[in-house]
Amino acid sequence: MSAQSDTIVDIQGLNKWFGALHVLKDVDLTVACGSRVVVCGPSGSGKSTLIRCINGLESYQQGALRLAGTTLGLNARETASARRQTGMVFQSFNLFPHLTVLSNCTLALRRVAGRSRGEAQDIAMAHLEKVRIPEKAMSYPGQLSGGQQQRVAIARALCLNPRIMLFDEPTSALDPEMIKEVLDVMVALARDGMTMVCVTHEMGFAREVADQVVFMDGGCILDRAPARDFFGSAGHPRSRLFLDTILKH
Amino acid sequence: MGFDLAFALSSVPTILGAVGTTLCVALVSCIGAAAIGFFFEMVRRAGGIAGLTVGFVIDFIRSTPVLAWLYFLYFVLPFYGIRLGSMTVGVMGLSLYYSGYLAEVFKAGIDAIPKGQSEAARALSLSRRDAVIHVIAPQMLRNIAAPLGNYFVSILKATPYLAVLAVPEMLGRAFDIASETYRYTEPLVVAGLIFLALALVISHGVKRLERRLLAVGAR
Amino acid sequence: MSLFDIWLGILQGLGTTAAVTAYGLVFAVPFALVFGIAQYLTQGVARLLVTGVIEFWRSSAVIILLFIFYYALPVVGITLSAMTVSAMVLGLNAGGYASQAVRAGLQALPPGQREAGAALGLSRPAILLLIELPQALVAMSPTFVNTLIQLVKATALVSLVTLTDMTFRAKEIAQVEYNPVAIYTALLLAFFVVCYPIALAGRWLEARVAAPGSRSRGI
Repeated sequence: MSAQSDTIVDIQGLNKWFGALHVLKDVDLTVACGSRVVVCGPSGSGKSTLIRCINGLESYQQGALRLAGTTLGLNARETASARRQTGMVFQSFNLFPHLTVLSNCTLALRRVAGRSRGEAQDIAMAHLEKVRIPEKAMSYPGQLSGGQQQRVAIARALCLNPRIMLFDEPTSALDPEMIKEVLDVMVALARDGMTMVCVTHEMGFAREVADQVVFMDGGCILDRAPARDFFGSAGHPRSRLFLDTILKH
Repeated sequence: MGFDLAFALSSVPTILGAVGTTLCVALVSCIGAAAIGFFFEMVRRAGGIAGLTVGFVIDFIRSTPVLAWLYFLYFVLPFYGIRLGSMTVGVMGLSLYYSGYLAEVFKAGIDAIPKGQSEAARALSLSRRDAVIHVIAPQMLRNIAAPLGNYFVSILKATPYLAVLAVPEMLGRAFDIASETYRYTEPLVVAGLIFLALALVISHGVKRLERRLLAVGAR
Repeated sequence: MSLFDIWLGILQGLGTTAAVTAYGLVFAVPFALVFGIAQYLTQGVARLLVTGVIEFWRSSAVIILLFIFYYALPVVGITLSAMTVSAMVLGLNAGGYASQAVRAGLQALPPGQREAGAALGLSRPAILLLIELPQALVAMSPTFVNTLIQLVKATALVSLVTLTDMTFRAKEIAQVEYNPVAIYTALLLAFFVVCYPIALAGRWLEARVAAPGSRSRGI
């Protein structure tokens, strides 16, 4: 097999359709353990669909997607156990509104990892401290600001001790003054050596932490480059245009 | 003749004596309707031929009057040798009729939960069963609490239909008094006012509950 | 009697069912519009009075209201035909429900609509008539269709005050022919045939009303 042991995500010739709409076209992507990949591109380019395929939230029709050595979609049980290696952070947080912050974090620990209440709470509190929001453990999501909710969502995803964290436009639903607190948490996570795939338009963040930047448009990966080169002069004309537009804001 | 207030007041205790029966019939019917309605909605959501059939049954129930259902059960069941008390038949009729409406309530309650909630549950590797029990159902209950309360009031106001099956609820008692005294106005007005008061008080409670639930759910 | 004869016999009551429905709409529509708008526009004591009238018609048990007006009006010297009493009671009850749809529809409009009208120098009545009502009525049209179905189904009640509607015909046939299964199935089917097309029309209307603002999901 071509996948080395230090490769966590290995995507070969991935194709996906929504009905007649061809949303992913022959996508190849490998993510090495400990690396940080930033995926950018205009809306509708397929980047969110790609990241949702990586943890099996979306299925695909052609190609192969191997996550932690398991080809997703062949076997439901294996797919489920591979998914357990991932943590997902959504654009719209998707915290459970009827549960406290702490219960949001302990739910999967107790039901999936089978931890006791005490253990689960200790793990959850440790992660809430990591995202600097332990004092809100007993609050409900509705009582928190958007930035606080997203930090809780990151803590919730970290609780199952994933090998890779997937971020789907984590700051797009946030007011500008809240973006930084979330990005700070993500930068700290990157510094700790977490493997990350991040769909985002935050080019400052990409420049700071990304090993590799992938540019998508029309369902294809048009450009991939180490961050230094991507922001330098080289690259696909389409991604230059995109960068120019986005950096002017 | 006019309206005899003293006579009206004298009929209050007799009619009020049936308020327990009325509330009981309404409550049991509401629980029955919720159980059947939830079952209907689950089958409908599953799709396939069973889902389509149940969807049609729900439409059929919603297109027919409750009085016709009560007559149907009351006269058809004995034809097949099934003899039940009129109270049981009445509760069955109300449960069946309102199940069609409560299925819609459950549907709306589930549809209103953002798609991201079940996605987040999947992303956290929760099993489907755990996702339903810990994530979907609690939010659905919050969504359906107020409409369910409103349908309880509707069912309560439909209990006097059971008078046509001679169930001794409040309207039945009022007619008993009327047929003994040949005075219809007073007992009917008394029964009407008690129903109105019950409906308004419970509706008010439902509205307060709704406001509290909305406050908890606010972002 | 064959099943078909039974069905034809029941359909002889369709004229009365249709007449009570149409006559009921004559009460329901103006009541819903006038009181819905009044509840939206008034404040304080006036709003309390308007709400009181609406709640009387909406929150009372309609079967009891029907009996009260049927038996009590002659006592106070007002003689109306059973048809008029039925149409009034069922119509105003349905109108009470519809008035809430009118009010909710008006309240749901963004305040910017009224402000834009005022900024253009339109008078308050003109804003209501030209800007608010057209939008609210379109948004609420599916609810009106549902109320119409409720009204058709409620006409089954007039069989209890001696009008020969479909339900009354079913009971008449049941007295000469012991075949409850056929008779009451036919009765349910008769209502279904009338109400289901209305429900389908309502669903079509709802889809059209919802279409412009429908949610789209990003990829």
